[in-house]
Amino acid sequence: MNEEYLWDKSGEPDPEIQELEQILGVLRYQPKPLDLGDEVQPRSRNRYLPLIAIAATLLIALIAGALWLRVRSKTVPQLNNAGIESPKRQQVIPKIEHQKTNDILATIPGKSSREPRPKVKEVKHPRTLEVSNMTASERQQALEAKEQLMIALRLTSEKLNLAHRKAQSASPNQIRNQHKVG
Amino acid sequence: MKLLFHRISRALLISALFVITTTITVHAQDPRIRLAALDHLATKASETVDVNIDERLIQLAAKLFNDKDVDEAKIKKLVNGLKGIYVKSFEFDDENAYSTADVDSIRSQLREPAWSRLVNVTSKREGIVEVYIALNGPDVLGLAVLSAEPKELTIVNIVGPVDLEKLAKLQGNLNIPDLGIEPTKTKTKNEQ
Repeated sequence: MNEEYLWDKSGEPDPEIQELEQILGVLRYQPKPLDLGDEVQPRSRNRYLPLIAIAATLLIALIAGALWLRVRSKTVPQLNNAGIESPKRQQVIPKIEHQKTNDILATIPGKSSREPRPKVKEVKHPRTLEVSNMTASERQQALEAKEQLMIALRLTSEKLNLAHRKAQSASPNQIRNQHKVG
Repeated sequence: MKLLFHRISRALLISALFVITTTITVHAQDPRIRLAALDHLATKASETVDVNIDERLIQLAAKLFNDKDVDEAKIKKLVNGLKGIYVKSFEFDDENAYSTADVDSIRSQLREPAWSRLVNVTSKREGIVEVYIALNGPDVLGLAVLSAEPKELTIVNIVGPVDLEKLAKLQGNLNIPDLGIEPTKTKTKNEQ
């Protein structure tokens, strides 16, 4: 058998190979257009589809933005647990002694003692916020947070002190910019 | 139908642009400083302080402050409403452990109009101390302190309505100093 024929059909052909070629030749690829039949029809492309997709995306972004703003605006008053609220807000306010309340009110900027003071309801503090009701992990987390908070405040205090000390001892040309606020 | 569709699309587009613009504006006013650029200094530092307390943790910690203790009550009042306290402090054994680029990476974020510099003291021997404040009209949005000493680099970023009056009143507690911030004069009971 001549292997050259099998390789590139250049040598002497083998009759057996030729016979096989003839048998299998009918299955050879025949280029012809694809016939899908009448049942299958290509769907016409909706020209508005991209626009609808864009509009839907924008709508989702809009809703997400609105939700985010809503959640954000809700979070701030909830966290304001100082005990002093403007009369407009209606929130559960911790129990505060009258004398202490007056003192605190006197420290609020822009609120002189002569102004009519907002009515502070004496409502029992929700027990859920009490430290005793915190779980062990929450308490641990709170303790760590407090520790970090104190470190941060001490460091801030130290640096502010340093700035103050340097500003006082520095020559005028060393202080490039200093404003007084208040 | 086609006209309605166009109108709805236009309205959506305008609304989306408004939301995007608002978001960008809010983000631009965010007084949070990105401190991650300094993380690489931790490997060189002999001592590192890294404090990251967000709003939730501040509120959680605030619950542990004793209202009956005068000092703790004042601190609780000071931190109430804050949205975050972020501190990075590196102490080095040798000088020049950090570069000017490190300082500039922070300073570049403390630019006007979002930030106003309250104090800037520069000393060749002792380094620099800068105090910045973020304002939105009369409201204080945040405070930043940048201290770059030969062997120490400290950045403090307090996000939220830092009440300068309360801060000024905390003098003596935790050694919080007088920064020349005079509290607004409120009439006391005796003055009435």
